[in-house]
Amino acid sequence: MNWFLLGLLCCALAQTVLLTPFSLGGIRPDLFLLLVFLVSQRVSPETATVLGFVIGLCQDGLSGGPLGLRAFTHSLMGFLASRLSHDVYTDRPLAVLWLLLGGSAGAGLITLALLSFFLGPPSLVPAIFFLIVPEALYTAAIGLLIFCLPQVRAALARAA
Amino acid sequence: MSGLLRLLARHKRAVILTGALLLSFFLMTLQVRHEAAVVTFTRQVVLFTVSPFLKVTTAFVQGARNVWRDYVDLRRLREENKRLHGEVATLQRRIDQLEEQSLETQRLQRLLAMRQASQAEFLTARVVGKDATNWFKTILLDRGSREGVRRNQPVLAPDGLVGRVVEVSPTSAKVQLLTDPVSAVGGLVQRTRVTGIVSGNLGAGARMRYLPLLADVVVGDEVVTSGMGGVFPKGIPVGRIIAVERRSGALFQEGSLQPAVDLGRLEEVMILTAPQPHDAGFEAGGARRP
Repeated sequence: MNWFLLGLLCCALAQTVLLTPFSLGGIRPDLFLLLVFLVSQRVSPETATVLGFVIGLCQDGLSGGPLGLRAFTHSLMGFLASRLSHDVYTDRPLAVLWLLLGGSAGAGLITLALLSFFLGPPSLVPAIFFLIVPEALYTAAIGLLIFCLPQVRAALARAA
Repeated sequence: MSGLLRLLARHKRAVILTGALLLSFFLMTLQVRHEAAVVTFTRQVVLFTVSPFLKVTTAFVQGARNVWRDYVDLRRLREENKRLHGEVATLQRRIDQLEEQSLETQRLQRLLAMRQASQAEFLTARVVGKDATNWFKTILLDRGSREGVRRNQPVLAPDGLVGRVVEVSPTSAKVQLLTDPVSAVGGLVQRTRVTGIVSGNLGAGARMRYLPLLADVVVGDEVVTSGMGGVFPKGIPVGRIIAVERRSGALFQEGSLQPAVDLGRLEEVMILTAPQPHDAGFEAGGARRP
């Protein structure tokens, strides 16, 4: 639990302060979503749902959006990621990449749908092509690096 | 009763997922018309918990950035020195031009002094964080209610309008930028006095909406705050029209807006804590400094 809270705090600091210089065209990877994926691989779907909800709530608290927006998507993503981690080979980089891409894009589309429900219809094309797709690509790329780091380290150790 | 509990226990997974989704949806529903107490409380708890760490991290990052900058500066010092010699000559010419402009400014200042001086009060704040998502455009400031920051106070930079304070905790404040998709600022085209609403656009900067179809709006027009709505004083520079769209069948025309302030590189801002009700001092001269 302590590790989870520490991870959540680090995630919040990195997302709001440290990642700013690394934004590409104003887009930053969604570290909160990566934390959801990371946590979901190690716990049951029920716990992943609750932790996803907490992570999303924290992200909403630091964002200008309605409270509950990311809590909705992250609890769903936590549940799905935890369920899928038993069926998908999450030790394979390509599987991880597709999982992250699909998850991030899915979270983006759900966010868009919820926003259009609560705030009125947004401009779809810019939202998809300048926000959802770049964010999904950037998040998946960073996620792939993080997820594959232990494997790279193990390969290097074997080679040594 | 025990049968229901057994049923819930059997479908625990579905119950928890549905519960989390319904709770999230309920929280969003609470905010549709006005902010509920539970929502405000949750937001303040998160902000209050994270803001001390944000300040420390920002200070650390800036310290590291300064060390790196000093190191790079040392390496580039020699080239810089050579380049600067060349620039001195160019700047000398600029000084001559600026002296001429300074005389003109002095004349204009005497004219401005005839107008009633504005007594607006500002509070300078440092930007300590940005929005945790790419969907909304907000920033976190290191000043809060302890320093007198309140909701809906306008936030400015030397070049113009930044946004307004939307949430305040004792030690920090959240500012909704004018490019945020849920932001709305009353705008006025300075040349033709046409009014519209400046709001953010998901993933694509800002737009000026609800401009009458026959209104004279062209690329390059400067937009300032209209003063309508009671949040922003009139005359604060908002941005410049960079494209105008007139769709067939539409009731209004729209303009794409280039904000006057580079909102992606904000480091310090000014919170307008006490504007005058009819503050004319912002017009023409841009935002005042404290």
